[in-house]
Amino acid sequence: MVENKELIKVIEETVSRDDVKYVIGYKRGTYGFQIKPAFAYSAKDAKEFFYSPLCSKNLAVYPLLEEKLPLRRGEEAEHKKIGIVVKGCDSRAIIQIIQEKGLEREDVVLIGIPCKGVIDPKKIEKRFPKQSKFVEVEENSNDEYILEIDGTNHKIPKEELLSDVCKSCEYPNPQLYDILIGDTEEEFQPEQFSRVDELEGKTIEERWEYWEKHFQNCIRCYACREACPLCYCKTCMVDLLEPQWVRRSVNLSENTAWNVMRAFHLAGRCISCGECERVCPVNIPLMELNKFVEKEVKEMFDYTAGLDTEEKPFLGSFRPDDPEDFIS
Amino acid sequence: MSTQKKIEQEEFEPNIIGFLCNWCSYAGADLAGTSRIQYPPNVKIIKVMCSGRVNPMYIINAFQQGADGVLVSGCHPGDCHYTHGNYLARRRIATMKKLLEFLGIESDRVRMTWVSAAEGRKYADVVREVTDDIKKLGPMTKFRREKEW
Repeated sequence: MVENKELIKVIEETVSRDDVKYVIGYKRGTYGFQIKPAFAYSAKDAKEFFYSPLCSKNLAVYPLLEEKLPLRRGEEAEHKKIGIVVKGCDSRAIIQIIQEKGLEREDVVLIGIPCKGVIDPKKIEKRFPKQSKFVEVEENSNDEYILEIDGTNHKIPKEELLSDVCKSCEYPNPQLYDILIGDTEEEFQPEQFSRVDELEGKTIEERWEYWEKHFQNCIRCYACREACPLCYCKTCMVDLLEPQWVRRSVNLSENTAWNVMRAFHLAGRCISCGECERVCPVNIPLMELNKFVEKEVKEMFDYTAGLDTEEKPFLGSFRPDDPEDFIS
Repeated sequence: MSTQKKIEQEEFEPNIIGFLCNWCSYAGADLAGTSRIQYPPNVKIIKVMCSGRVNPMYIINAFQQGADGVLVSGCHPGDCHYTHGNYLARRRIATMKKLLEFLGIESDRVRMTWVSAAEGRKYADVVREVTDDIKKLGPMTKFRREKEW
């Protein structure tokens, strides 16, 4: 478990460094189980930082959102680092972005947090709806979450609230960090992402029925894209008008095209943080697509995303002995 | 009813989009023509400079716009005019086929082959096979765009 005092101390130290511009972390939200991203520009901003199992958001999105204005004549670019608080999956996202040259290793200071899994906001919201104040959630050593609502204490088994992807997490510890807070978690044998196997067991008609039902609900808000740390293209293909790959109309045809496109663009890149699924307002099981592609990529090409900054991108590289049994 | 259905199936002529690479497969198709080899007219050819140019979104867009199947054809491995375009295409199409299968779209609707400029006979065979395969699968209407006018 990460001590908040220790976290605040580390953030104070980091933000006081001359070469660090600001540090991104988590702070308590205004109501319910919402948490907010926090930006510390000086040591006094660090007080509001905290970490709890509610911190599900992937902060690796932020360094790429920073606007870089064109330089005036004679002006030199400011080379200052950005500090980010990272869990296991977030650090893999950063590795993947560095691998794709979206960021440079020198641009970031990574404050690693060993993660025990995060709470799915949808699950906890369903259990305790309409909380008008922020609720603290803590994890005890018996794999239970403890929270206090209206003076009554609740103890809930971890299983019930844990995010689905966290159950099959292979890398709970940050894979790349400069400062590590707390002790590393034990590596454990993760469960299979069972929902994928379940779907694969169905017939092809049943599978299309399943996805048709979900894709029909899609409202194309692109929340999945905005929350994804690896969807950072300056101009997304779906926003292009010439050529227009996907039309603006919201119907099954275009929704399918968008969802296939999103899943395919994350082939060999998705680091399964599960943010897309958690932010989806119509509960499309997007992680099933991502996890399936991840599994196939691993089986067919023996490739895992987000482990090595020096590796070549999956779809930008090849091996002459790649499987080609589907070609005749 | 059953007889009517049978007639419908017999009459179904699939629309197949073929993405052929400029250097091998398109020349192969040309050779099939100049050699006067008979093959079904269902494959509508789109010439691309390299099979590596085939964005998997082309396949999705083809299905949206009324194609029943897609054929992607390039040079044999090692023969690519751009040295490795077809290797990249191979990875992409392999992943795309798996993804389509998972979504519940028959992956046989997407077919990839290597056809060199000297293989007119092979091109004709491939087209015959693809047309038969797609005829068996029937029309692809799962996520076709609705008619706008």
